[in-house]
Amino acid sequence: MMLPLVAGLLFAYGGMVGLCQGMERNFKLVWQCEPSPLLRRALRMAGWGLLLASFASCVWAWGWAIGPVGWFGAISLAALVLAWLLPYQARIAVVFPVAGIPLWLLVWAVVG
Amino acid sequence: MKKQSFTQSMAWLHTWGGLLLGWLLFAIFLTGTLAVFDKEIDGWMRPEVPAYTGSQQDALQRAVDFLQVRHPNAPSWNINLPTERSSNLSVSTGEQRRGGGQLLDPTTGEPITARETAGGGFFFRFHFTLNMPRTIGIWIVGVAAMAMLVALISGIVIHKKIFKDFFTFRPGKGQRSWLDAHNASGVLLLPFHLMITYTGLVIFFLLYMPAAVDALYAGDRQAAIDDLRGGAVAQRAARAGAVNPPMADVPLAPLGPILTQAEAAMGPVGGLSIQNPVRSGARIEVRPVLGNRIELTKGRSMSFDGVSGAVLRAPDDSRPSLLTQRVMAGLHFAQFGGYPMRWLYWLCGMVSCGMIATGLVHFCIKRRRKYAEQSPASRRFHRLVESLNLAAVVGLSLACIGLLWANRLLPMQLPQRGDWEVRVFFIVWAAGLAHALWRPSLRGWVEQLVLLALLCLGLPVLSLATTSEVPWTDPVRLWLELTCVAMGAALLWLARKVALRAAVAQPAPRRAAMKLKEMHS
Repeated sequence: MMLPLVAGLLFAYGGMVGLCQGMERNFKLVWQCEPSPLLRRALRMAGWGLLLASFASCVWAWGWAIGPVGWFGAISLAALVLAWLLPYQARIAVVFPVAGIPLWLLVWAVVG
Repeated sequence: MKKQSFTQSMAWLHTWGGLLLGWLLFAIFLTGTLAVFDKEIDGWMRPEVPAYTGSQQDALQRAVDFLQVRHPNAPSWNINLPTERSSNLSVSTGEQRRGGGQLLDPTTGEPITARETAGGGFFFRFHFTLNMPRTIGIWIVGVAAMAMLVALISGIVIHKKIFKDFFTFRPGKGQRSWLDAHNASGVLLLPFHLMITYTGLVIFFLLYMPAAVDALYAGDRQAAIDDLRGGAVAQRAARAGAVNPPMADVPLAPLGPILTQAEAAMGPVGGLSIQNPVRSGARIEVRPVLGNRIELTKGRSMSFDGVSGAVLRAPDDSRPSLLTQRVMAGLHFAQFGGYPMRWLYWLCGMVSCGMIATGLVHFCIKRRRKYAEQSPASRRFHRLVESLNLAAVVGLSLACIGLLWANRLLPMQLPQRGDWEVRVFFIVWAAGLAHALWRPSLRGWVEQLVLLALLCLGLPVLSLATTSEVPWTDPVRLWLELTCVAMGAALLWLARKVALRAAVAQPAPRRAAMKLKEMHS
C-alpha cells in the first residue's frame, strides 16, 4: 500500500508543479524569463496528466470508495507544500518531482 | 447606513464572523485534529499497559480464561480486544459499558492497574461538547460550524484572485504574508474545510434539524431511529429475549473460528460480548472496530450461537438514507483507510488550525496601525482582541500539551486523577489568558510560543523520566513523541521568527518612553 501511496503523493506534487509553472507569473518567478505559450501549455497538460496519475495511484492504494477522498487530501497538501517551498527554494521545489517521480517508479518496479 | 456593495458586506461578515467565532473554531479544530489520534494518545496516557503485537485470538483466549475463573456466574461478559491502534484488553461483566472495565495484560492475561486518566477521549469529547453539558456543547459547536461554512463561502466571495494567487506565498512581508498564508491554507484545502465542516454538522442531524422527525413521529426520536436502523430493532428484541434462567454448564464454542468468520464479514474486530457464558443458550455478539469502510458502522454487530458457533444473525446493511448519513459521519471520523489516511486528516486538520490562526492574527495586524491612531476605547478593544487571539491560539495549545504533562506529573494516588488532569488543562488555559491579558504584544506571543515549543520538545524526556519504559519499545508511543518533537522544533522556528519581528517592530511610543526612562535613570 505504501508504494502506490507515496507515488500518489509524488504525482500530486508533480501535477501541482506543472499547473504552477504553466502560469506565466510563477514561471517567471523561478526562471526569470518568459515561457513560450507552447511550453506553458505543455506544462499545464503535464500537470493535469500527473494529477490524473495521482488519482489512479490513490485508488490503487485505497480502493474506489476511499481513494478519491485520499486523492483530494493529497493534491491539497501537495499544492500547499509547493506554495510554501516556492519562495524559499523555488528551483529545488520545481525540479524535485522531475527526479523524484522516476526514482520512485524505479523503486516501485524493483520492490513491487 | 452607507450602502455597501455585495463584496463589502461579505468582507464585513467574513471579518467579524470569523473573529468572534474564530476563537471557538480554533479550539474545535485543534482538539478535533488531536482526536484523529485519540486512541494513540490514550495509549500514551496509560504507560502501564504494555505494547501488544500478538494476535487478537490469543488475547481473547486470555480474557475468556480470566473471566471463567473470576466471574463464572456473570450473566454476560464484555471483552474489548486490542487492535491495530490500541493495546488495551479490557473485560467487564453485566450491562455493557463504554470504557471502564478491568484492564488485562494482553500477553499474560494478568489484571493490571493503569493510572486514572482523562485519556485521549478527552480531546474527542471536547471537540464536540467543549466539556459542557452534552446538548449545550453540541449546539454551540453546531453554531460555530455554521459560522465556519459562512466564513468559507464569504471568504471565497471576497478573495479577489483565487486562481491567479493559487500558489502565492510571500513571506517576510508583514501583513501581506499573513494574508497570503491565510488564503493559501484556505483555498488549497477548501475541499477539506468544506467536507469536514459540513459532515460535522450532518453527524447530529437529528439534533439540529428535528422538524421532520417531530412531524412524522410526534417527537419520538427513538421510534425514528429504530425505523431508520430497521435491523437494530430485531436485534434489541433478540437481546431482550436472550435473558434466560441459568442453565447447565456447557463449554463455549471455539472462539478462533468465530473471530475469523466475523472478521471476514465485517472487517477488524473491536470486541465482543457473551450472553449466558459457558451455559446452554450462550450467545456471542461480535462488534467490528468503528468503520474500516467509509460508512461509520456504529452499532453494527454479528451474532453467533455460543455453544455450536453457528451464525445466528449476519450484520445488516444500512438503508440508503441512513447510509448517506453514515458515510458522511464516516468521512468526518476518518476511521477508514488506515494510518496513511489518519495522517492525511491530521495534516489537513493542522492546516485548518493554521488557517484560523493566521486569519485571527491578520485581523490584528491589519488594524494595528489604524487603531493606534483612534480613540482610547478602540485601542482598548484592539488590545483585548490581541489578548484573546493569543489565549485562544497558543494558550489552548499550551493547555493541550499541559494535559499530557499532567498525566505524567500528577501523583498516582490522587483521588479523581482523571478529573484533575482536565482541571490542569483549564488552569493552564486560564493562565495563558491571564498572561495574554497582561502582555498582548508580540513579546507575549514569543513567550508563550517558546514555552509551548519547550513543552513539546521536553515530552519524551518527561516520559522517560517518569515511566520505566523507553519509548522505542512501543512504536505508537514513539511516533507520538517524535511528532511532538517535530512540532516543538517547528514552533521554536516560528517563535524565533516572531521574536526577530518583535525586536524590529517595538511600538514607537513605547520605545520613546523607554528612552525617556533611560535618560532619567
